[in-house]
Amino acid sequence: MAQNYSASHSEEVSSTRKVIAASSVGTLIEWYDFYIFGSLAKIISEQFFPKDNPTAALLATLATFAAGFVVRPFGALFFGRLGDLIGRKYTFLVTLVIMGGSTFVIGLVPGYAQIGFFAPAIVFVLRLLQGLALGGEYGGAATYVAEHSPDNQRGYWTSFIQTTATFGLFISLGVILIVRQSLGLEVFNDWGWRVPFLLSIFLVGISVFIRMKMSESPMFSKLKKEGKTSANPLAESFKQKDNLKMVLLALLGATAGQGVVWYTGQFYALSFLQNACNIEFVQSNIIISIALVIGTPFFVVFGALSDKIGRKWIMMLGMLIAVISYGPIYNAMYDTANLKNKVEIKEKTIVEHKAEVKGTDSLKTTITKKVFEDGTTYKETKKEKFPVDAAAKAAMPKDKLKPDTKKEVVLPQDQFIRMIGFVFIQVLFVTMVYGPIAAFLVELFPTRIRYTSMSLPYHIGNGVFGGLVPLIATRLVEASKEPGYSNPLSNLINGVTGHASAAAGSADPLAGLMYPILIAGVCFVIGTVYMKNKPAAMDGE
Amino acid sequence: MSAIQRILGIVWAALGVGIIPLAIMRAMAEIAKKPSEENWIFWSIVLVVLMPIIAFSLITFGVFALKGEYDSVD
Repeated sequence: MAQNYSASHSEEVSSTRKVIAASSVGTLIEWYDFYIFGSLAKIISEQFFPKDNPTAALLATLATFAAGFVVRPFGALFFGRLGDLIGRKYTFLVTLVIMGGSTFVIGLVPGYAQIGFFAPAIVFVLRLLQGLALGGEYGGAATYVAEHSPDNQRGYWTSFIQTTATFGLFISLGVILIVRQSLGLEVFNDWGWRVPFLLSIFLVGISVFIRMKMSESPMFSKLKKEGKTSANPLAESFKQKDNLKMVLLALLGATAGQGVVWYTGQFYALSFLQNACNIEFVQSNIIISIALVIGTPFFVVFGALSDKIGRKWIMMLGMLIAVISYGPIYNAMYDTANLKNKVEIKEKTIVEHKAEVKGTDSLKTTITKKVFEDGTTYKETKKEKFPVDAAAKAAMPKDKLKPDTKKEVVLPQDQFIRMIGFVFIQVLFVTMVYGPIAAFLVELFPTRIRYTSMSLPYHIGNGVFGGLVPLIATRLVEASKEPGYSNPLSNLINGVTGHASAAAGSADPLAGLMYPILIAGVCFVIGTVYMKNKPAAMDGE
Repeated sequence: MSAIQRILGIVWAALGVGIIPLAIMRAMAEIAKKPSEENWIFWSIVLVVLMPIIAFSLITFGVFALKGEYDSVD
């Protein structure tokens, strides 16, 4: 008897593992596909969206943002409805094919120089398809895995799906770095950037093959057999008060805060390292990559822990610690890289000048290399371009004559490790809020409308609230340059640490944090007051 | 807990209502100060995407909370 139980139990575990593996690999590839576009945004912009063409530039902006926060929720509704009507398996198979196909084709589209306006138009449509597919994928994968998991282990099993977004980002950064280093910067900028896109087709092929072999979720199959599936999942999800109130609770009490913590810890941290701290491209990407790898197992740790102590308090604690500690962490990151805190070895400073004439323009390049006592190195490349003709130069507007300056700081090993630590702490917050959230969301809604109901708050929370972190944070930093600006967060930190406030006219590097802190703070209060802690049993209806 | 949930419902609904004129006035002031394309795109995103979502969800959530719809959740 005991032997029979043991055999059936191990079969069950093995079958669940296959479900997790098949679902996770597909979702991982979807995230990879979605992120390589973002990670290569600069090159894509140069290839497809030239700045001197205003329509193409507008399409670039729309492609960057629309895919994230307009199309993703729309994809959640479209594919969520489909998943609740025809089943989870075929729906998230379709999303995978759309995502993989779009990514592959982006790698093949000729540039603006070859086909003109068609290039940005095609890429724009493909990017929208990517957003649409991503909107349908996550809800399907999380629902599918949750419906295969036992009640007491749902947090644990679904947490593997939660690792895929971070792993997808990690793999996209890794593939880009490897291809860039192998081909060299010039070849990479010319055609090498296409390789990460083209690679996607092999990954998707494998994943489609695996997913084809999977069976439909047992809960949905039972519902379909009994003829109890929803006839109109959208109306049932958002027009019925009992369900709408849970959708709102999921958004305002969990996913909005989770979204901003996720984007701050992983994307804004990279942007802050590169733009505020001026850390060199490769080093900054390595810092993020290592922190992601060390942090990723904690998705599973917190997912499993949520099966034991409940989902709510782990997520709320993650948000609360993030709100309290973002200021000090980012302040410490800024201080670590701040050259004003370092002593320069003047005799090692090298300044190189280069002047050349290209057509009617004169190009002057000044490269300054500095070494500091703690081992930090600094390289500043200043490029000035102006007409050779003095009269034409005098007639040019001042902002056109402004030199293009690139600053690159490379940190010594101890500070490099410290930076990894600062980012890792933020990834830890991400794992706390994100690890248990799939289980939390699927448990809020009944099987007949689960895919639709959980997908929308997830994608609004992540796509809109989270996706806007870089845009709003950058905007807040810009606004901090204006006279009379005052940031309560910076004032508080400066008061505690004794630092001087940002000089008038210069940017306050911490200003961008106000948005994620505010959203996560409100979300923490709503979640704490209104959400329940106990993991719920999911109905099979 | 139910009493706190209901009282806070007023706060959420009021925040949702208050955010609409606040965002519109700020957008108008910012665009008037610097009518660049960047400014237009940024404030369009805020007014067309972010503000309606925040306002609608906070107002509806607040009204539900005030009516005691979340009393049974905890």
